[in-house]
Amino acid sequence: MKDRRKGPISRAAGLAENMAATVRRMQREREPRVIVYDPSGYARLLQPEARGHARVMELAEDMVAHVSTEGEEAR
Amino acid sequence: MVETLTPERTPARLCELSADARAAVLLDAAGSLAGASDDDPARARALGELARELFEAVDKATRDWEVEPPQQVEVQVPGGAVFASRTPRWTLAVVARRAALSSLMLWDLRAVLGELDGAPPIRRARPAGIGRGPATDEQAAVDLPLPELGGDGGDGEPR
Repeated sequence: MKDRRKGPISRAAGLAENMAATVRRMQREREPRVIVYDPSGYARLLQPEARGHARVMELAEDMVAHVSTEGEEAR
Repeated sequence: MVETLTPERTPARLCELSADARAAVLLDAAGSLAGASDDDPARARALGELARELFEAVDKATRDWEVEPPQQVEVQVPGGAVFASRTPRWTLAVVARRAALSSLMLWDLRAVLGELDGAPPIRRARPAGIGRGPATDEQAAVDLPLPELGGDGGDGEPR
């Protein structure tokens, strides 16, 4: 069980820990990755070394680049 | 009167709903472009082609998995993210900003595809008290911007 923080310094340390964990989680979520979801919503990670992973990443990068170019041309 | 969502308007509808959506395309069951948020036909076709290839590549990569074929895909890349969702009739793909929340984007994709297949339209939430009478539970239920759950196999009736 997690110790309950009592003093103000302890509580501030707890807040800082939570913020750091949130930042780490957000960074992890933005890491390049491929996730596929089955009809029931169950998620599976396509491992980077798996066959076809590179092709999926390449296509997604092309799609993002396509839209980015579009935005630059519109300006 | 409630406006019916057409395939041509579906990608634009998704971009309206989600602030993080940058461009979207809708493909029919044959993989042909049925709608795009981009007005330029050549650009829309190119994005549609990439979206079609994306699901083909995903199917190829997951061919040996002993699970059902993927219904949704999320790909995070350095400059942004791509999300795609499909039904037996349609495939909807969107290029989103890097900050897009996966769960929300995937929800929006499903909701818009549901709307295209005849589910009630999703409405934006409005601040309470604007342009309506006193708030009631009934009004809140009508305004809830969520489609009904259990669309597959459920009878849609509240229990």
